[in-house]
Amino acid sequence: MSRSPRASGYFRTSYDQDLALVQTRLERTSLGVFIAALLAFPLIASPFQLDLACQVFLASIGALSLMLLTGYAGQISLGHAGLLAAGAFTVGILFRETNAPFWITLPAAAAVGGLLGIIFGLPSLRLRGLYLAVSTLALHFVVIYLGGEYEARRGFSTGIVVDPPKLGGVSITDARAWYFILLGAAAATLLVCLNLLRARTGRAWRALRTRETVAEALGIGVASYKLLAFVISSAVTAVAGALFAYYRGFVSVEAFSLFLTIQYLAMVIIGGMGSLLGALLGAIFVTLFPYIIEIGLLALPGAQRHASLLFAVNYAAFGLVMILFLMFEPLGLVGMWRRMQNYFLLWPFKHRRAGGSRG
Amino acid sequence: MLARALAAALAAATLAYPASAQDAYVIGVTGALTGPAAGTNGPPIEGLRLYVDRLNAAGGINGKKIQLTVLDDQGEPSKAAANAKRLLTQDNVSLLVLSSLSSTFAPVIAETRRANVALMLMGAVCPKEVYPPADLLQFCTTAYAGGYDSRATLAFIKETAKEPVRIGFAAMAIPLSRGEIDYAEEQAKAMGMTPVDKEVIPPSTADYTPFATKLKDANPNWIFSWAPWVTQVKTFEALRRLGWEGDYITWAHIEAESELARLKDGKFYVIGANSLFQDNLPIHKQIIEEAKKANIRYPAEQMTEGWIGGLVLEAVLKAGGWPADAAKIRAAMENVKVDTQGLRGGAIEWSKDNHFRTRQYYRVYRWDPAKSAVAVTKDWVAYDVK
Amino acid sequence: MQLIVNITVLAAIYALLACGYVLIYRVSRVMNMAHGELAMLGAYLLYTTASLFTDHPVGAIAAALVLSLTVGVLVYVALMRKMTGQMVLAAILTTIAIGILLRGVIVLIWSAAQQHPLQALKFSNPSIELIGGARISTCAALMVLATVAVYTALFVFLRFGRWGMRLRAAGQNPLLAAQRGINLNAIYALAWALSTLTGSIAGMLIALDSGLDQTMVVIGLKAFAPALVGGLDSLLGALVGAVIVASAEVLAIHYVDPLLSDVVPFLVLIAALIVRPWGLFGTREELDRV
Repeated sequence: MSRSPRASGYFRTSYDQDLALVQTRLERTSLGVFIAALLAFPLIASPFQLDLACQVFLASIGALSLMLLTGYAGQISLGHAGLLAAGAFTVGILFRETNAPFWITLPAAAAVGGLLGIIFGLPSLRLRGLYLAVSTLALHFVVIYLGGEYEARRGFSTGIVVDPPKLGGVSITDARAWYFILLGAAAATLLVCLNLLRARTGRAWRALRTRETVAEALGIGVASYKLLAFVISSAVTAVAGALFAYYRGFVSVEAFSLFLTIQYLAMVIIGGMGSLLGALLGAIFVTLFPYIIEIGLLALPGAQRHASLLFAVNYAAFGLVMILFLMFEPLGLVGMWRRMQNYFLLWPFKHRRAGGSRG
Repeated sequence: MLARALAAALAAATLAYPASAQDAYVIGVTGALTGPAAGTNGPPIEGLRLYVDRLNAAGGINGKKIQLTVLDDQGEPSKAAANAKRLLTQDNVSLLVLSSLSSTFAPVIAETRRANVALMLMGAVCPKEVYPPADLLQFCTTAYAGGYDSRATLAFIKETAKEPVRIGFAAMAIPLSRGEIDYAEEQAKAMGMTPVDKEVIPPSTADYTPFATKLKDANPNWIFSWAPWVTQVKTFEALRRLGWEGDYITWAHIEAESELARLKDGKFYVIGANSLFQDNLPIHKQIIEEAKKANIRYPAEQMTEGWIGGLVLEAVLKAGGWPADAAKIRAAMENVKVDTQGLRGGAIEWSKDNHFRTRQYYRVYRWDPAKSAVAVTKDWVAYDVK
Repeated sequence: MQLIVNITVLAAIYALLACGYVLIYRVSRVMNMAHGELAMLGAYLLYTTASLFTDHPVGAIAAALVLSLTVGVLVYVALMRKMTGQMVLAAILTTIAIGILLRGVIVLIWSAAQQHPLQALKFSNPSIELIGGARISTCAALMVLATVAVYTALFVFLRFGRWGMRLRAAGQNPLLAAQRGINLNAIYALAWALSTLTGSIAGMLIALDSGLDQTMVVIGLKAFAPALVGGLDSLLGALVGAVIVASAEVLAIHYVDPLLSDVVPFLVLIAALIVRPWGLFGTREELDRV
């Protein structure tokens, strides 16, 4: 991982130190505090807040996997909702048809996702940029069509209901339990991503994104690494879809519209391309933002009287904020975060020293 | 940073939401106020709001006001689930009202089960669970309902048709509409009609003519469509443009009245459970007046569904007494009889195992070219719901 | 016979919408995902002008066209101008955001109820009997005529017009074009204006033919497939792509399964992307500007 040097002189003296994920004491303590806060959160939160947190975790998993693909390997996909749907439908269909428990359906979802990843990824061997994006979009429609056909043929007209997963005979329905499960899943995804990116795979992906020809000259198997990016990202996405199915207790094609893909794209772009932190920040922002405007608008006097107007404003506001973000903060939330960090690092000075060593 | 953003957002969420007022009935509504379904699901919510405002202005029920909290789900299942959770756990509503696409039902029902609060569907299609033996928590005031609608329609066709019926069907490519049309096709066969063609039309169709061409080529003399209004009317218009001259019957959604007047076609029938405003009953005049006063954004004749929802709500809360928690209100809903004042063919009656209505009434309207007005073609026919 | 008429009408709808995608992509390499919303906005503008000038339908239509042209310029000047030179993906996402904004604004101003501009204009839409017993509605016929007119005008304009030439130059090499004294901002604004105008014409005619509601957005999205099949930077390609996709769709409805009509455009698209990723008439280019 390339990391910017600290303001204070922290120098690594051994390879172990260079490899460690958490390096300084400050990092260790702040991480500790952060984890403690995350663990303590369910004790004070209301069920609605827990639900929001769970939504954020689910979104984080999806955003991280999209970030791997788009932000690091440089492959644009508009099929993200299709992949989520594939994972969710794997759970729904397996549950309905064979009553399979979660320890079968989740790996199955991952496998289906991986398989679809190969299919979604095949065009990438030939196509780039916009054209790749559109071909994945086409696949999105195919997945949704198949899901819709299954629903209609089997008579699940209002969606497939999925019972909560059972662990040792006990159904997991408690909101707090779900909080920890999804938190764990999101943390695991983050760790997997971090480690993938520090290893050969991550370096190959970054090389791919920067310039394919050079990557090939460096001896990187372009085709296989592209496919690998699609397979890993898709498998993770499908698992996120599967978790969604269990968490919400239902699956239906309407939940996986193109708008969902757009939301995930917004997460990685608003968060900041090429940064895992960006994916997390983007997931938080895009998930919570509509609720925040909604709450703000509802707090206006007489708001309830004009609910239909109000929600149209809410809908438009999401678009407006996204535009403003894209126009005025091209580096995304991560850019803002880094600027803030620098501000404190450099204080009381305003700018870095020109040229020479940094920090 | 993560924690800070999260904490700030959540703090905002908690602060902006004061604990719901303790001296009011708290009712939650989630519905498609924006998004593609807004045209169908928005007006019922507006109608309910109209009715509740009127009640509150008159002093509320049992001396208590009604606090109606409306949230928008854009017709999206995930958003509806989150809304339901918020209304049920944070605002502690004692009754949840849903007016949205059928795909939102499953997640919202799951949330109401968890919270053990009754769910009233209003302006959204009635699920099978409200028929006897009814699900404990689901109730429905909406006019349309799978199964009965097709039976009533086919009975009308059989009665009206002078020659053997060759029937065509048009559905929208959503599971609900497809399911109902499949059922209608079977029923039609059983009733001695000849089904000739069935078109399932995707919601995002640029031109309905290709579908209409196929229907017309099958040469039906009747066509039945049970789908969202867009599909019903656009298929019909495309058929007429192709020169098809048969009879077309379709469900009277809230848009029906103005559309009958727009199309002015004597062989375009709408079957429905709500009376149209051309009847000019006192209740219709009252709704028009109230809608004008409140400056409603939708035509007054689209307020019927919401108004009926309001009538039922009033009756339920009255019976529930004060203080009323969710359990008490649910219990009150199991034993209620609401006079619809002519908006429907008869009363809405709920019992322990019937959360739909004991009798469902249907009426058929069409444009009468001779009188140049919307006219009743077949007056109320009642179907016992068992 | 009716089948051919159906294909022609659908192809005209797709072609008229697709040329908007092509115009913008050609000059700025941005895929305008708000095209469906802009077309819908055009139709709503017509509805409003029609209710304002009740006695002058021609004036109403002219006013709506001018307004939609202005909207196109405004979108570029106020929003998209800042995005030139940014990541293409960010630019595309901006257009998506514009689409969301427009959808909200439309519900805010006109509510979500279905509208009928045809009635507001006090027109009727009788169908015309063609040879072989086929029929076509007046509005659909107008749609075909409008498509022919728009494409002819665009061909002439791009081939012989001074500004048309500049437009092509800016598309080929923006840097060189700018150095030759071509005002790139004006060119981009022109492309946005023309694209919005043609999209709005399509939106208005669809709305006149079959009513106006929120579904038009999706129709705009479907027209995306023909543009790509034909090649995103070729007008001729858009025309041919529209015919191919429309034929595939109508034939699938007629002979296979009506349910497929949603998927067919995209299946054609996948096939085209496998065989000729840059489209039938597109320029083979380095496709990784992301």
